[in-house]
Amino acid sequence: MITRRALLRAGGGTVGLALLALPLRTRAEPVIEIAMRGNSDGSKVWFDPVGLLVEPGQTLRWINRDPGNAHTSTAFHPANGGHALRIPNGAAPWNSDYLLPDQSFDLRLTTFGVYDYFCIPHEEAGMVGRIVVGPLDRGPSDRDWPETARGQLPTPEEIVRRKVIRRPP
Amino acid sequence: MLIRTALIAGAFALTSVWAAMPAHAQSVGKAPPGGAYKKVSELVKLPDFLPGLGTLYVDPKTLPAGPFLAYDHDGRLVSTVYMIPVEDMQAQKKFEALKSPGGAVDHVDMYFNAGHPGVEKPHYHVVLWHVAKADEARVAK
Repeated sequence: MITRRALLRAGGGTVGLALLALPLRTRAEPVIEIAMRGNSDGSKVWFDPVGLLVEPGQTLRWINRDPGNAHTSTAFHPANGGHALRIPNGAAPWNSDYLLPDQSFDLRLTTFGVYDYFCIPHEEAGMVGRIVVGPLDRGPSDRDWPETARGQLPTPEEIVRRKVIRRPP
Repeated sequence: MLIRTALIAGAFALTSVWAAMPAHAQSVGKAPPGGAYKKVSELVKLPDFLPGLGTLYVDPKTLPAGPFLAYDHDGRLVSTVYMIPVEDMQAQKKFEALKSPGGAVDHVDMYFNAGHPGVEKPHYHVVLWHVAKADEARVAK
């Protein structure tokens, strides 16, 4: 069974205007999938890809491809358990809640900038991801960055250059 | 090094306990085990059946260590699992008198787990298999 959760638009108060301003070509872009994965004994968990460059308004879909675990896609934002702000100022935070295997969560980001997110039960295991909504603006600082996440994420500049970054587990 | 030493010592202790278990300790041999045990997937958001482990039951009061009782697709007990947070090992926390209702142990596996709903902290699974190695396939998927 696949549950497709409600599409959430994260872009602050200017979302509607921003979407209206998007060219039709951009709104017709295919859905971009970010898989939530884990190995067979659960010792490693990760987002695939870990770094991604997207156009404003493109639909992102996180889908749990891990048959033995539940995962979330959750923005680094004070609204999510008091985490440090690691998405653009004014952009709305998101939290997919727990996704069981094959369940998915859709999101559209319309504010330019760098978005960092994590998986609630696996933050301590370093399950984090980064999305750049181009063109590149200044990314969040490394201040308050969780220790387990250091070294896990590509830089925003690397994401812009390579567009999709996958890491072996 | 500390973690490895603790795990080896724990495995020896648990295996000794199981070797001495009388044959009558099989009341949890079929799912559901009853008593205070609850299906894990009804306590937290996890799949009913976890590949590699099976269908898990636990007494919520014993979290995070357990024991978790693991059953195959036919409801037969295959293993007893303890989940020990790495940070508790590093803090040299003592776990004692963990229940052991599953009966004879064939072999023991210990491996790291990154976490999951119910036991979010990175932890070790200490798996006491009540079936032969070849029968682990009953819960492989």
